[in-house]
Amino acid sequence: MPIDRSVVRARIENAAEYVGSLWPLRTFNATNPLLGFEDQPFHRAVQKAGQLFGGRGYPGPQVFRQAWEDGEIDADVLTRCLAEHGITERPEVLLDRMEADAPGHDTVPTDHPLDRVLTKWLAAFLDQGQAAWPMPNREDGFYAAWRTVAPYDGAIPGVDRPSDLPDTVAEAFEAVLESYPEARWEPIFVHHLTALPGWTGFVKWRSRRADTAWQAAHPITLAEYLAVRLTLADRMGAAIAPDRTEELPTNGTDQPVLPRIWLRAWEESYRTRLLDDLRQAPSAAPDADRPAGQLVFCIDTRSEVIRRHIEQQGAYQTHGYAGFFGVPMEHQPYGTEECVKSCPPIVDPKHRVVERPAEQHQAQADRYDWWAQLGRAGTTLLKTLKKNVAAVFGFVEESGGAFGAAMAARTLAPSGLSRLAQSLEERLPSPDAFCEPALDPPPAADAEVENSLPVGLSDEAKVLYAEAAFRLMGWTDTFAPIVVFTGHGSETPNNPYKASLDCGACAGNPGGPNARVLATICNENAVRDALRERGIDIPDDTVFLAGQHNTTTDEIILFVDDDDPPVAPEALDRLRRDLQSAQADAATERVRTLNTAVDEGRPAAAVHETERRAADWAETRPEWGLAGNAAFIVGPRALTRGLDLDGRCFLHSYDWATDEDGTALENIMTGPLVVGEWINTQYYFSTVDNAAYGSGSKVTHNVVGKLGVVQGNGGDLMSGLPLQSLKADDEHVYHRPLRLTALVQAPTDRIEAILDRHAPLAQLFDHEWMHLTVMDPARDDAFVHYQSGGGWHPHPSPDAPTPTAPVSAGGDPEAMDRTPTP
Amino acid sequence: MSRSSSWLPLLFTRLTWGLFALSLGTLVWSPNLEGAGDVLLRVDGLARVMALMTTFVSGIVHSFSRRYMAGAKRLNAFYGRLFGLTLIVLVLTAANHLVLFAGAWAAMGWVLADLIGHVRGWPQARAASRYARQHFLGGSVLLAAALGLLGGGAEAWTISGVLAAVGTLPTFVVAGAAGLLLLAAMVQSALVPFHRWLLSSMTAPTPVSAFMHAGLVNAGGVLLARFAPVVFELPVVMSAIVLVGGVSALLGQAWMLVQTDVKRQLGASTVAQMGFMVLQCGLGFIPAAIAHLILHGFYKAYLFLASGSAVKHTAPGRPEAPGTGVVGGLVTAAAAMGGGVLFAVLTGKSLTALNSGTVLTVFVVLAVLHATRTLVRRSSLSRPVRIALVPSILLPTLALYAGVYKGMGMLFVDVPSAAAPTALTPLHAVLLVVFGGAYVAVERGWHRASTRLYVALRNTAQPLSTTLLNNRDQYNAH
Repeated sequence: MPIDRSVVRARIENAAEYVGSLWPLRTFNATNPLLGFEDQPFHRAVQKAGQLFGGRGYPGPQVFRQAWEDGEIDADVLTRCLAEHGITERPEVLLDRMEADAPGHDTVPTDHPLDRVLTKWLAAFLDQGQAAWPMPNREDGFYAAWRTVAPYDGAIPGVDRPSDLPDTVAEAFEAVLESYPEARWEPIFVHHLTALPGWTGFVKWRSRRADTAWQAAHPITLAEYLAVRLTLADRMGAAIAPDRTEELPTNGTDQPVLPRIWLRAWEESYRTRLLDDLRQAPSAAPDADRPAGQLVFCIDTRSEVIRRHIEQQGAYQTHGYAGFFGVPMEHQPYGTEECVKSCPPIVDPKHRVVERPAEQHQAQADRYDWWAQLGRAGTTLLKTLKKNVAAVFGFVEESGGAFGAAMAARTLAPSGLSRLAQSLEERLPSPDAFCEPALDPPPAADAEVENSLPVGLSDEAKVLYAEAAFRLMGWTDTFAPIVVFTGHGSETPNNPYKASLDCGACAGNPGGPNARVLATICNENAVRDALRERGIDIPDDTVFLAGQHNTTTDEIILFVDDDDPPVAPEALDRLRRDLQSAQADAATERVRTLNTAVDEGRPAAAVHETERRAADWAETRPEWGLAGNAAFIVGPRALTRGLDLDGRCFLHSYDWATDEDGTALENIMTGPLVVGEWINTQYYFSTVDNAAYGSGSKVTHNVVGKLGVVQGNGGDLMSGLPLQSLKADDEHVYHRPLRLTALVQAPTDRIEAILDRHAPLAQLFDHEWMHLTVMDPARDDAFVHYQSGGGWHPHPSPDAPTPTAPVSAGGDPEAMDRTPTP
Repeated sequence: MSRSSSWLPLLFTRLTWGLFALSLGTLVWSPNLEGAGDVLLRVDGLARVMALMTTFVSGIVHSFSRRYMAGAKRLNAFYGRLFGLTLIVLVLTAANHLVLFAGAWAAMGWVLADLIGHVRGWPQARAASRYARQHFLGGSVLLAAALGLLGGGAEAWTISGVLAAVGTLPTFVVAGAAGLLLLAAMVQSALVPFHRWLLSSMTAPTPVSAFMHAGLVNAGGVLLARFAPVVFELPVVMSAIVLVGGVSALLGQAWMLVQTDVKRQLGASTVAQMGFMVLQCGLGFIPAAIAHLILHGFYKAYLFLASGSAVKHTAPGRPEAPGTGVVGGLVTAAAAMGGGVLFAVLTGKSLTALNSGTVLTVFVVLAVLHATRTLVRRSSLSRPVRIALVPSILLPTLALYAGVYKGMGMLFVDVPSAAAPTALTPLHAVLLVVFGGAYVAVERGWHRASTRLYVALRNTAQPLSTTLLNNRDQYNAH
């Protein structure tokens, strides 16, 4: 009986919603592992996901106990939240009860032959260059390639030649599905797609990003995967359809009520403290004088720390903007063939920017090329010798001594070794110094259009990106003589998760190249003229520079040609000195959070410690990344200036007064804020269940296929963040798993209009994937909280007694009318 | 932020480096144990070299783990076992009493299996630990049987006593003991068909893997070296060792070709290298085997500790390397010959008389040949650079290796039957032909024609199925 292929395809699409896409580690992307569940209320989503993946949806009792003992959960708030649900026991009693109720762990390893066969062939098919001898026939696609290896595999009895298996994917589906009614197909697909969520997540990512070279060379889709899996299951006698009971996640009512209340109380406690702080912020008098310098940083939570310390150095202003600086581009670093995407996951690149040596630096580039060629020859030599069947034995003997020496040096003197490497590198020209991003499109005659992306930017595009940057930040006047766009990147060797510490807005790459592009654009006279016409008047003496913030050491480097500096050398020196002091202060603050005893009186020791972490191949916690993130503040820096926000807030500059039609806010709330929510949920879920949604401990990681990690001997691909990115030690979390609180300074009617236009965004708040608090300038900057389902609830003023009225979602008597106040 | 800190890891790390310093000291002056001490321990060249090697790698692993394992639960237990294992290995290499030797051997396996399952709450790690422990227990029984046979036959309680009496023992005792010793060595060094415990051991924290692959799997080689007079007594045993080693060397390296994860790839490579090391024993070159296990130890420990660096952006397909051309071909041939001659001269091998040492030289020649070919084909470099690179890379590396090799020979003057080259046999010829053929086949890509071979290699190097984490929910980091 022929089956309707379009129905199969549609059912697979539906079923695939349950699986989160998994990016390769090289371009690690923060994403909500339960993205496909965001159309449901949070508590229901985590329950369904728990049934499918076995993952926990709320922090465990130990995490709550830690927060409780550290005083992070306000006793009054908790008591009130519990009372709303009729619970009156003491918190300590409840903690004990939650611990007693915690399910035990499996003790017997499960062994499903079906999963075992599949992980073996998935790892082989999806390998991106680890095996010297890859799986045969990959170019024919997963199903066809598997069909040729299956006869020798022994997993399926009675298959002696490929023709014993269905010819095509469609026939494979027919053979298995014909005995099931159409209504059962989707549950069957869900059952099989969620069995190995790591690998299927990666297949999902790859099949939907058809432009990757690996997908083009070795195509795989979820349908091909399912065809293999169902055929195998059928022939191996494994279950095709799930048990009726686990078939579709049910909407049960036995919610984990206590964890849900505790989490809410913890979030409210954090929010209350944050808002109290904001109220007490030193009311920043408008800067009378023109600042000496202005620096624009990524909205990343790590920028908050360094910005605070830079501002303390003197007459500096800082701004927050998405770290790809609004330029949706692909970047081709000098001397490489590969192009890396350098914009957020929700944005498609529109330009290709190539680094080209500046004419005056051609000699340096040639010298660099010579050494780079030599280095590549060495790498190739090592690689080929390592894998050669006969030559490897002699090679090991001849090179062993060098490996021993390198091992001793890297382990015993990582800092010294890195200083040595640095001083050697300084003798060589660096592409950062001799290259410039090529912005002008090549002449039409030889216009390169690769992957259909135009090389360079048109004049219109340049003006567009420059204007968008200043409009979104609400920054239309007061330009200092020096303005620095500062991207950020991490520095950490031997770390599969390096990209998770780089700029999330640049698809897990350092943001320096994007900063250079925007700085170059803003220095062009034609762009400035166009901006002037649009009301953004940049003085002629303002110079835009680009820099990069090393988030591991807090060092900020400036991309400036020191032989021909664009600003006065004295000004540049002063800026560099101030950035150095800021680095020392920021490093001193940060090392206290990293398992380290450093003499706090000596900032140099702190800097040294961070530099050691940046160079140490044994370091599993080079820095905390975005751990701790809890709030996303949209508003002018004046709101938060002078406050210590502990590196827990995303800061996006915005001025409601310069954004009358709300376009800028709309862009911020549908772009950077959503990315912030993805980052936050990834940290949240990786923390609350590091096995199901995170990747476990780094100490037993095993990199597979050059693209991801498995634990130990292999199996399913791990996703999310490793334990060491989230926990201070095996027992104490460092990342406090709170859902993001978005705090926006803007009139509520403007926000309501935006939510009305963007249902998926409103849904994130309505379904409590994140919370929204507004500082309403129309109400004298009073704080109001968005109520699930619409409506606003005022934040109690600090002088007023704690409200006793229930504040549960929906039906709250104090909820304000949605009608905007003029 | 760490809420608990302990001084034990630091103490054990310092003690290990202290032991390293002591081992270094014994190279200059070694204790002459009189009387009762000599019955228990005898510090000869082999013991000193292995002590130096073991404490060095262990010191690195201790120091590395201070950062790598920071914050881990049961850190004191981890360090206690790591340090205990180091002591056990020191005792093992210096033990003279048969019971002490067997006891140390069994204890080594027990503690190592424990470290493979260091993550207690993780069922897959426990399964891997159990699996390794079964192997080690079996190996210990084989060893105990061999020692019992030897001790009973020679009526001696010490290794030195047994070895002195080998010539007087009946052939069946020597053959039986040698066979049992070989089997015990094969289990410990994860040679085919006992390789699977090693390929299932990646549940161990990375530093443990580094120590295991650089130190503990070597014990098989140390066992053969220690009992060289027994295993060298019968040519048929020598041939068996060559065969066993050769099979693992070839198969391990073939397995490595098809592995897709970095740690199992390194594991397959260890099987191959241990095979080669045992092969060197079978050729009668104990110093060469010990030099190999030391240099391989450095190499493999480094690669394990650096295994986090394997995430890379890569592109599918590889450009075909251009041919070497006439000049390149001449350079390659000349370099390979020159490398072989240099190695032979530096290590004092005869260039004209063919014996089992020739086999060793051929492997050096193959490495030089391949390195030179790779460099010469590198068209992105200018020809003078390419030609200049060949000697500037090969000379120092060959000299370094020859130096280690010679050093072993000098240190092993007091080790019985350290070097006993044998005459070339047809087996040696077959071995050379097989490896030469494998080299050509892989270079030409002939192996890729067989899907059957690919699947067979992929399947025979699978870990124990219960040690695979297919259900992520079962993972537990503690």
